[in-house]
Amino acid sequence: MDYEPISVALKFGFLAVLYLFLLWIAASARKDLRRSKGENFAGDATIGAVSAGSYDAWLVVVRGGGLDAGTRFDVFGGVTLGRSAEADVSFTDRYASGLHARLYPRGDRYFLEDMNSTNGTLLDGGAVTSEAEVRDGSMIEIGDTAFRFELDRP
Amino acid sequence: MSASRNRELLALVPVALLLTAGFAAVFAQNDNQLTNLSLSYGLYFLAICLATHIYIRIRLPNADPYLFPLMALLTAFGLVMLYRLDAEMGSELARDQANWFVLGLILFAVVIHFFRDYSVLERYRYTIALISLGLLMAPRLPVIGSQVNGAYLGISLGPISFQPAELAKIGIVIFLASYLREHRELLVVGARRFLGITFPPLKHLGPLLVVWGAAMFMLIFIRDLGSSLMFFAAFLALIYVATGRLSFVIIGMAMFLAGAWVIYHTVPHVTDRVDIWLDPYQDPSGAGYQILQSMFAMADGGLFGEGFAQAMVVIPGTDAPLLPAAQTDLIYTLITSELGLFGACAIIATYLLVAARGFKVALLANDGFSKLLATGLTTVFAFQAFVIIGGVTRVIPLTGVTLPLVSYGGSSILANFILLALLLLISDRARREAREGI
Repeated sequence: MDYEPISVALKFGFLAVLYLFLLWIAASARKDLRRSKGENFAGDATIGAVSAGSYDAWLVVVRGGGLDAGTRFDVFGGVTLGRSAEADVSFTDRYASGLHARLYPRGDRYFLEDMNSTNGTLLDGGAVTSEAEVRDGSMIEIGDTAFRFELDRP
Repeated sequence: MSASRNRELLALVPVALLLTAGFAAVFAQNDNQLTNLSLSYGLYFLAICLATHIYIRIRLPNADPYLFPLMALLTAFGLVMLYRLDAEMGSELARDQANWFVLGLILFAVVIHFFRDYSVLERYRYTIALISLGLLMAPRLPVIGSQVNGAYLGISLGPISFQPAELAKIGIVIFLASYLREHRELLVVGARRFLGITFPPLKHLGPLLVVWGAAMFMLIFIRDLGSSLMFFAAFLALIYVATGRLSFVIIGMAMFLAGAWVIYHTVPHVTDRVDIWLDPYQDPSGAGYQILQSMFAMADGGLFGEGFAQAMVVIPGTDAPLLPAAQTDLIYTLITSELGLFGACAIIATYLLVAARGFKVALLANDGFSKLLATGLTTVFAFQAFVIIGGVTRVIPLTGVTLPLVSYGGSSILANFILLALLLLISDRARREAREGI
């Protein structure tokens, strides 16, 4: 065993480099964590949390859905849209699914999410694949029904 | 954010250095001479990692910078230990594993290329679930199925043998994530309180329970206990993240304990495993041999270990293994024996850091599917490490899952690099959106 010292040196060298490497990554990860706290990402542990600091927002019926045009729905805190009676904004449209889509706030913005509906949701003419931000004046179309989104941001 | 890519590049250098040091140490011990051969292994490894790094730099410039180096570190650990076993047993495990590593990285690149918009996975969730269940069932089929130690883990097609549960775990997680994304609100809204416990509505939990039940049934059917534990942990983690209801997790754990009790008393294979776990001395030279030798070998390691290539793997003068399945089940034991408590802690810390980065990806992600997918993938990865490390240290019954990326095995390497590709895709999108302020 002529090279025994080399082996021992390599072993301790290996462990030393390994720990320095892991410490470096742990330290950078901690720095990362602190930074993201300030940047206000959507950092909820559970994904359903509703943020409190949202502005008032409404959905205004433009046409269809068996609703009177101009009817206003308060969407503060988020609503679900669909044909089912369980939906917060319930309307009749043969192309709508039971729970078709939902609107929810994150931070001071509102998002539209298609709940995997059969016929899809249009936002300002474009299909919503998973979710998209809705802005003041955005048009939301589900089948033959159309809503205008109004956001009261001071 | 090329700063994060530079950090990734920097992190790969110590990984290659560690691989080189490990190979050199093994070499020094076995042939009593240092050659530049181990140096060239390190350089090859670095070159492969660099190529991957450049690919990530082009395709996913915003992805998490630490996940890939951490996974490369685990692979390097595995390669060093396999090389060390080769030196003693005259096998070529390290070379095979290196080939699988390269193949894994190619698959990694393919996944990133074709699933840039991974939300397509959501659309095919039932297809993916069916394929995964089919994969789990495959080892029980005649001709291609094969049985090892009473478990039906692998399929062999000609010279290639494959453990389908490794791939199925990713498919099942994709299914659970996409299903829960759509139904999580219904699970919370329709919940009923009964005897002070909140129960999820059966109507919406039904399909989920069917797929979960099918997975559990397959796992009992193919007798893969470790994977069944892994799937169950992922299932509970996803339910918790999707609904935020601790009561669902408690109900799930109660269900699991009840199921485990029934299976313990009805499936002889499971009864044997649990009995050996509780009292390995009842059959020290037979069924309890592996777990007892594992514990003796770890005790031999002490604080800093016996050194590379110093642990006794084969009984001197014979071919009889002192550490059975040292390249797969007991690779953690081998690491503990040769690098001691410090080496073992470093391995566990590496898995912890991977888990931390994975959950960070989930936190940053903007949409429900990404959050759930990242959580699920991270959970199965971390839990797999727990199941096998817990198994060899006698915390839970020993089962035959691989130590992710460290153990010898092609399917494990391939599956885990697909998992990494998906995590990096999610992380790239999340960090890009965060930066652009969407």
